[in-house]
Amino acid sequence: MAPEGTAPRAVLACGEVRTCLLPAGQALDSRAAAQLLRLRADERVLVSERPNLYGLSPDTLTGVDCRLPSSNGARVRAVGTVAARAALTEGRVLQTSAYFRVPATGPDHRRPWGQYLVRPGVVEPFGRLPREAVAEGLLDGGRHGELDVGLIADGMQTRLLRHPLLDHRPPLRSRPTRLRWVALPARDGDGPSIERFTLAEDALRTVRLRVPEGVRSADIAGLCDDLALHDWLLTTVVRILDGIRLGPGEPWPRPGPAGDLPVVVGALRPAVDHLLHLWMPRARVSGELAHLWAALEERPGFTRQWLTLVQRVRDQLALHAIPPSYREVEPRP
Amino acid sequence: MKDVVFRETTAEPRTQSVPLSHLSLELGHLYMEDFEAGPGRLRRHFEAVRPWVEAARSAAADRAGGGRPRISTCFLVDDYFTRFSRPAELVPLLLAEAGRAGLTVDYLARESGCAVNGKVPVAEAVAGRIVEEPPPGSYGNRPPAAQTGWLANGVRSPAARTPQAMQRAAAWQPPTETAARRHSVFLDVELFSDTPDGQRVWSCPFLAAVWQLARLGLLRHQGDAVLDPHPHTGSAFPDDWDELPALVRLNPRAAPFAAYRTCSVLPNRFLPVEHAVRVILDQLEVDAEALRQVGERSARENVSLPASVADRVSYLFYAGS
Amino acid sequence: MFVFAASDKGGTGRSVTSANLAYQRALGGDHVAYVDFDFGSPTAAAVFDVPSAMRGTRERGLHSYLEGEVTEPAGIDIWRHTEHSVLRARQNQAGRLVLYPGDIGGGEFATGEEALERCVDLLLRLNSEFDLVVVDLSAGRSYAVDLVLAATAHPRTRHVPYRWLVFHRWTHQHVIAAAGLVHHENGIVRSGVDRGHDEETLQGSIRFVRAAVPDPESPLWSQVSHAQQAWMQSCDKALRRLAADQRVGDSVVLGTVPLEPILQWREQLITEDDVLSTQIANKETLEALEEIARRLTDDSHWGRP
Repeated sequence: MAPEGTAPRAVLACGEVRTCLLPAGQALDSRAAAQLLRLRADERVLVSERPNLYGLSPDTLTGVDCRLPSSNGARVRAVGTVAARAALTEGRVLQTSAYFRVPATGPDHRRPWGQYLVRPGVVEPFGRLPREAVAEGLLDGGRHGELDVGLIADGMQTRLLRHPLLDHRPPLRSRPTRLRWVALPARDGDGPSIERFTLAEDALRTVRLRVPEGVRSADIAGLCDDLALHDWLLTTVVRILDGIRLGPGEPWPRPGPAGDLPVVVGALRPAVDHLLHLWMPRARVSGELAHLWAALEERPGFTRQWLTLVQRVRDQLALHAIPPSYREVEPRP
Repeated sequence: MKDVVFRETTAEPRTQSVPLSHLSLELGHLYMEDFEAGPGRLRRHFEAVRPWVEAARSAAADRAGGGRPRISTCFLVDDYFTRFSRPAELVPLLLAEAGRAGLTVDYLARESGCAVNGKVPVAEAVAGRIVEEPPPGSYGNRPPAAQTGWLANGVRSPAARTPQAMQRAAAWQPPTETAARRHSVFLDVELFSDTPDGQRVWSCPFLAAVWQLARLGLLRHQGDAVLDPHPHTGSAFPDDWDELPALVRLNPRAAPFAAYRTCSVLPNRFLPVEHAVRVILDQLEVDAEALRQVGERSARENVSLPASVADRVSYLFYAGS
Repeated sequence: MFVFAASDKGGTGRSVTSANLAYQRALGGDHVAYVDFDFGSPTAAAVFDVPSAMRGTRERGLHSYLEGEVTEPAGIDIWRHTEHSVLRARQNQAGRLVLYPGDIGGGEFATGEEALERCVDLLLRLNSEFDLVVVDLSAGRSYAVDLVLAATAHPRTRHVPYRWLVFHRWTHQHVIAAAGLVHHENGIVRSGVDRGHDEETLQGSIRFVRAAVPDPESPLWSQVSHAQQAWMQSCDKALRRLAADQRVGDSVVLGTVPLEPILQWREQLITEDDVLSTQIANKETLEALEEIARRLTDDSHWGRP
């Protein structure tokens, strides 16, 4: 983990995480996960097996020198490095996460590159940082040519998806999601809080946080990875349930050897095999941030929705386990 | 904070620390052509080096703030690009010539240890730590197709491409050094080349950059120190270079091999190589935990240390080849 | 599954027909991506009626993506962005339908190793998100055809099923041209084998779609004279013989789209509305499209004939 002691105090942290189903027929075991996530020959992949199987790659850096997006058109150039890493949960869900933090001020000229490299994950503004405007700008996504942390997460995802371990036979079709976050300092004495969690268009989620001074940006990224993972699970299972056609229409024929499974069972089975055991909020969120989940459990109630979805999946499967001759009517949602 | 009751060792990073001197002083590199020029060449080299060694020692003493600085000396022999002589023949000769000039060689290193050390692919791992200096306008997009095996200190001159139909060919544009002050000194460094049979040959500047990281105590492989010094026991040296450890401690009372800063005393002909080394070091993200350990230790000892790794390296070039 | 839509000549209605197939599949619940690899004249935006959404994707289309200028090509959610009133009222239970357009003003370009890797990245990403990925290819022996042949021979795509639809009109010249595109030297099969495809597998994954076929039985021609009727039938028979000789006979035809003014002139999707309320399209045309859409994934229509 990068030490943060050497860098000036950060007043803004920002990141984006991309979450997708690993395109492989079988979930990866811990050895294969470590192989996939070995982005550097000389750094270990952290593999953990409690409370679930999880692998975390070393951080890699990308150099940037460009304007920061801002909501009021302020033109702030910034130079530094964005950190990015990849995580694999239960050998099944791949997340790539890019993040950086910004100090309140920086020198008004560019320094030798080696001086930025010893502060990994810090992007320094030229002069003063208009914090609020940049935070909003980052959440909204900038214009072309302004810092785009999502591209860095995407670049790492592309790199990992080229790994020869992957056979590109995903057990189900699913949509990748993006979660973009900013964290601003909490007011004196306040603890961390989620100010806003928004579901936007095009599978984009945005989160605005307040965190006390001294919370490491890697830990904030860890919290956001966890939020993104569970939001993706909800999104994906909802989509599967939306997709099972229960009406009279004839479904499209499926290529490949014809299974004798009813269509609904064929559609729900991958959720049972690959997704339902993944729900485990806060499994790896640092202690000081873990309680932020409480707000989301209250409203909208992430776990409540999940339990309802799981129940629906199980009910459907139970109904289809009854031989058709004993059913009075065809199962409906 | 981590749960203190339950731990998983594979889930926690761990980085070995290494002992550190104030200064790692390099007394020279030896290549085949130096050896072939006869013992007179070595003698002249050590004679030319001696006054600069004195200067480097006294500068280190000044920086150490009155206290007695820990200084270790080292010498690098090329066994990577060409194999010549035998340790049993060369090492005693080298030590004798150094001794004649009043110099002690504390540590002897083989250059191939900077490429691969045992099973550790040192050079490849370091190459994986290059973070290219972004030219202005880098916003997170993929950098323009990197030249595989090359590293520059700026933006290359655009390659002359066949323009698309009905478009005019672009005029020549100069390369630019990203950190230029008004005018550029553009340098493009070859990091390695591949032989027709697929063997990767690391370039001299790249191995020299790895050598500098080792001397700065910043090389790690999965948390373990790389290039650990092996004490020299017994009197004889082996006949085969492969039987000599990559780094040998010749002087049992020597200060630690790695140091906060390095200084190398070299003839002028190494100037371009060492410029290239600086370009490489300036774009390497070294192991963050190793960097933190060194920073913490130096702070405890009240030794001021430049933040940038490249700035911890210094040279004394003497006239001659 | 990938479906590649190819044609030797222009004017076969390849783009509009393949867009209709994508639309039909999405109506039936599939998540469908429509990828515009017609690099020379990207027109899919008009077919799906999304002109203003296109403006937002300027310089972020497939040309820029394949050339490495952008890392993610723009995708347009048709149900949300179409200006077509019927399409906008997305049918219940329909899957997503997303258009990946080319750059506005983009042209044909030579492709290299990098573009191939990016093309594979794109196709695989779409494959994990969509049930069906329809790729509309530039007419003739184009870079686009080359690119997807190489992409589907790439080791990374080895497990992804693909099928080819070759569109041609029902005329002497078009039959010969379509056969040439597939079977001749530098045709799809030979080029595919050169890139590492297995000949039999590739052959077995190519089917033809006859477009703009006048049906002598159709009410459209009920007014014609007896002599005309007989002449049309003999022409049709001669064409069938020619097609069989050229190895594009009935056994490798996936479907036939009748001659349909709305496809020829409006170049847009045919909706149920066009058939039922405004009655500007023929019921037979819609049924033909639905049937081809169904057969796309019906294994009994594929493999070595």
